[in-house]
This record gives sequence, structure tokens and C-alpha cells, in this order.
Amino acid sequence: MRAAVALLSLVALILASGAHANGWEVDLDGRLVSSNADPSYTQGGISGVRFDQDQSGVRLGRARFALTESLGEVWSVHLDASAWGDHDRIPFGLTEGYLQFRPYPFAGYRLRIKAGAFYPPISLENRASGWESPYTLSSSAIDSWLAIEVRTVGVEAQLDWLGTRQGHDFDLSLTGGAFGWNEGAGTFIAGDGFTLTDRQTPLGGRVGLPGDPVLFNLEPFRELDGRAGVYGGLELRWFDRLVLRALRYDNRADPTVENYASGAMPWETAFDALGARFESGDGWTAIVQALKGETRIVPDGFVLEWPFKAQYALIARQFGRHTLSLRYDRFEVDTNANAAGSGAEDGHAWTAAWVFSPDEHWRFTLEWLRVTSNSYLREDAFNLPALARETQVQLAARYAFGSAVR
Amino acid sequence: MLAGAAADAATLVISVHTPDGRPLQGAVVTALPLDGSAHKPAPIKAVMDQVNRAFQPDLLVIPVGSTVTFPNSDTVSHQIYSFSPAKRFQLPLYRGTPYPPVHFDQAGVVTLGCNIHDEMVGYLLVTDAPYFGRTDAAGGWTLEVPRGRYRISIWHPRMRDTDTDLERELTVGEGDHAELTLRLLKSLEPAPLARQHSWDY
Repeated sequence: MRAAVALLSLVALILASGAHANGWEVDLDGRLVSSNADPSYTQGGISGVRFDQDQSGVRLGRARFALTESLGEVWSVHLDASAWGDHDRIPFGLTEGYLQFRPYPFAGYRLRIKAGAFYPPISLENRASGWESPYTLSSSAIDSWLAIEVRTVGVEAQLDWLGTRQGHDFDLSLTGGAFGWNEGAGTFIAGDGFTLTDRQTPLGGRVGLPGDPVLFNLEPFRELDGRAGVYGGLELRWFDRLVLRALRYDNRADPTVENYASGAMPWETAFDALGARFESGDGWTAIVQALKGETRIVPDGFVLEWPFKAQYALIARQFGRHTLSLRYDRFEVDTNANAAGSGAEDGHAWTAAWVFSPDEHWRFTLEWLRVTSNSYLREDAFNLPALARETQVQLAARYAFGSAVR
Repeated sequence: MLAGAAADAATLVISVHTPDGRPLQGAVVTALPLDGSAHKPAPIKAVMDQVNRAFQPDLLVIPVGSTVTFPNSDTVSHQIYSFSPAKRFQLPLYRGTPYPPVHFDQAGVVTLGCNIHDEMVGYLLVTDAPYFGRTDAAGGWTLEVPRGRYRISIWHPRMRDTDTDLERELTVGEGDHAELTLRLLKSLEPAPLARQHSWDY
């Protein structure tokens, strides 16, 4: 609630400052859901999809308010706040909020600096406003994990070489980030595994319910050891057709620092992310992304490690205002911790979606998602069969309005 | 064609093809007289608008010394820049028409971008040739010109050939027309994707 008040105050301040409005947007996304899944992490469970069987019926997909404001010539502020209609302690919270410095290109180079909270440049599917995918409702396993636990709370600098504006075939970008408040990242992988969802944890938000047997009411965005994390990435674009991305992320958490009062400990998490997206001139899009890393904690001197990896391939075809997409996800979490709740998992998922955008305001999506996973955690902590095959079908109607909608 | 309408004039007939032999529409053709007597083209006052986050038109050919106004008809602000050697400039964040026309006093290609909307790209070809135009759907361009020797150049935003590779000298002599067919040596760059949305990430 305090965050919502702070957000509204900030918005009022910006509007009152007389800055030139660059655009605002309100999105309302309602869902009709049919699911046979066990409770998901927002309900204290462990399923691989967002909505469980008790949540079948009419649901709020997302209610979102976003604002972009110029502050003078080369500065701008971006706020993106959402409500998800579940039990987060932040009922309406910021998923991203940052200040951007964007000077003019000089001699073919351009610098961009962001400060605040935002996604590191990894996802190649979640490219639409609000970090949504234009292809599916549910994000891939990789991007769902980023939505739940990963955010840059810090500073990112990006240097672009604008080759295509100088007669070359490609552009290049180098990105570097330094961040704090992300030492909870990794808990979800160890305590829940991978899941496919479009729910994004707001800043200050909590993952899981109080009393959740495995997630311990996880707060992903917190700082315990005072050490900054870093990432570095490279992006290459061939015209506007092909994008290649590579990023190395390391939160450099010190897992030996433990807050004995709360029991919270830093999760030392590092990963490599690779991705490629190709768009043809006749409506085809192909995306592949891969993530490989490890998270670890050292409670009382015992080193507990969870190596993880995930990949997906997506193919989409646009026919006028219709887009058909098919995605295959694979994911795996290993561990050296064999105690109950230790969380080794492997699984895969198929997602098929049909998106229809009759105009700039309306978007209708029908999505079928099946997640098959084998998780020892399901057996150990929830007394459920380790193997689960969960199917979730959603029909979404999304209406967007505001000066930024187009 | 009114042959002989002017005894000292004839028709220049230029055709431009891609390497696989298909007609190239929208190529800019310039014809520069090589005989000293030729006049310089008169500067013009041109307008390149911004509509639906796109430059409109997305290409203008203007004589050296011309001015161009860049109004913004969108409801969102744009921030126009060029770092091309022929003209470096920027127009700070604006809507409507707050700035005076920009003066282009050097021949060459000027590539325009918007610092906020990366998908926006526009081109100005600033030329000292008095005769110029763009090829039609059949890849052709014709113009009545005084007889004499000309240097014919072509340019297209997606062309990979350097413009000097495709320069030709052509004499418009006694006949009622002079023909030249030019074929690009390298395939064109891919056309920009027509996007329904502008992506944020």
C-alpha cells in the first residue's frame, strides 16, 4: 500500500512538474482459465503453470499502468506498475521503474544509461510494452524465472555502434550493469524449480505465501551482504532481421553472510544467457534462448548447490492481424542437497497460442500450455507424485488505452 | 513524346535493374552535365513530415543549398539527428514545427534518425546535378534534357554498391532519345520489416 501511495505521488509530481507527457497507458487483461494444475507458487504450491485447478474460471490476468515522461532533453523516466489479482503483499507494484539518460548519437556511437529497477537485456520474446510477449501469454521457463526473481536494481550502461546508419549491415551493442538487491535470485529455482507464467514479481513483492514450506516467503529483491552484482552483455543485429544476444550475470553474493534474525541468506547466483531471434520478410519469427547457471548457499558451512539450465525454441507466423505461435521449453535443475525440499527437477513444456489484434486497443489470445515435469520436491514437500503433467488453457481479452497505445 | 519540341533537346531514358534482372523501383537517378555551360539546380524549400512514427516521405532528393522543414505531426515527441558527413545536426525533442528549416549546403546522402524511436529512418540525397528523379515500378525514369554529355549516377537506400561503381557517362546526341540500362552488381539489403507495433525491449 505504501508503495502504491509512493508511486501515485511520484506520478502526480511528474505530471505537476509540467514535463512534456510522452505517453501513458492502462491495460486491462481478463482471463477465462481452465487448468488441472496443482497449486502454483502464488498459492503456496509448486505447479509449473500460473493458474491451478481451483483458479479455473474468470481471473485477472493483469491490470497495468505505465508512464514514460521526458525530463528535459535527454532524460526520461519510465514507470510500469501492475496488479495481478493474487496474494502478493504489494497488490499494485512497480515491475520496472527507472530513469534513462539518452544523449544524441555521436560519430556513429550512442550511449544509454539506465538507473533504477528494470530487466537485464536477456529476453527475446518479451519485447512488447510491459515486458509482455506478442506471441504467447505465458513466458518461457527462462523468462518466467526472470519475471519472478531477477531484476537489475542498479545501473546499466549500453554503448551502441550504429552501423546500419552508416552503410553497414549490422549494429553492435555492449552492455554492462551493476546492481544490488537481487540476492534472493536463485531461491525459486532451488525451492520450486522452473514454471511458465506471465506474472512478474513487483519490487518489494514476495514470492509465495506466508508459511510456504519451500519458498519461506521469498523476497527476491533484497540486499544482505553489501556486495554489488555485475553483468556484461553483447548484442549483434543484422539489419532489423536477426538479433544475437549473449550475457554473463553474476550477483556476486557472499553466501556466508546470513541474517540470523530473519534467517535470510544471500543466494550466490551466476548464469550465462544466449539467444537468437530471426524475423523473415514474410511474417515468420524464430527465437531460441538458452540459460545455464548455478545458485548456491552455504548454511553453517555446508555448500549446497543447484546447477540449472533451460532452453526454448519458438516459431511464430503472422497472418495480418493474427499470429500463431508454437514453443517448446526444456528445463533442468540438479542439486547436491538430498534432504527433503532440495529441489532437483527436469521437465519440458509445449505452448501453442493464437493472438488476434483487431486494432491497437484490443488483443485476444487463446493459449494452450502443457508442462510435464519430474520434481523430487513435489514428492518430498507436498506429498504429491513426482511426475506431473499439467494443462492450462487460457482465453485472454486485453484492452489498452492511453496516449502511448498504438 | 513530342519529338523535336526543342531541337537541342532529347529524351534521357534510364532503366535500373537488380542483379537478378528485376526492375528496381524508387532508385534515385541523377544526371550531371559534363559540358561546362550547364546551369546549377535552383535550391528548393522542401518538407519532410513525421507521421505515425515514420518520416513522410522517407526519402527526398534536393539540390545543394536547399532547406528542409521537419514538422512533427505525431502526438508523441521526436528528436531528429544525423551524423552523416554531408550534414550533422540535431533537432531537440519537439512536436509541431518549432524549428526553422535546416540548410543543406553539401552534396551527399544524409541519413536521419529519431533518438527516441529507433525504427524511424529517413534519407535526404543532396545533389549538385540539375536533373534527377526516381525510377517507377518498371524501374524506368525519363526526362527531356539538352543534348550533351552527362554523368549518370544512381542511388537507393538499400543499395550495397558504392555510387561510383554505378556511375556512367552518356552522350545525348543526334537521336530523339538516349538509353542507358544499369544493373546493380550486389543484391539489395533486406527491406525494413513492416511492424504493427513498436517494440519496447
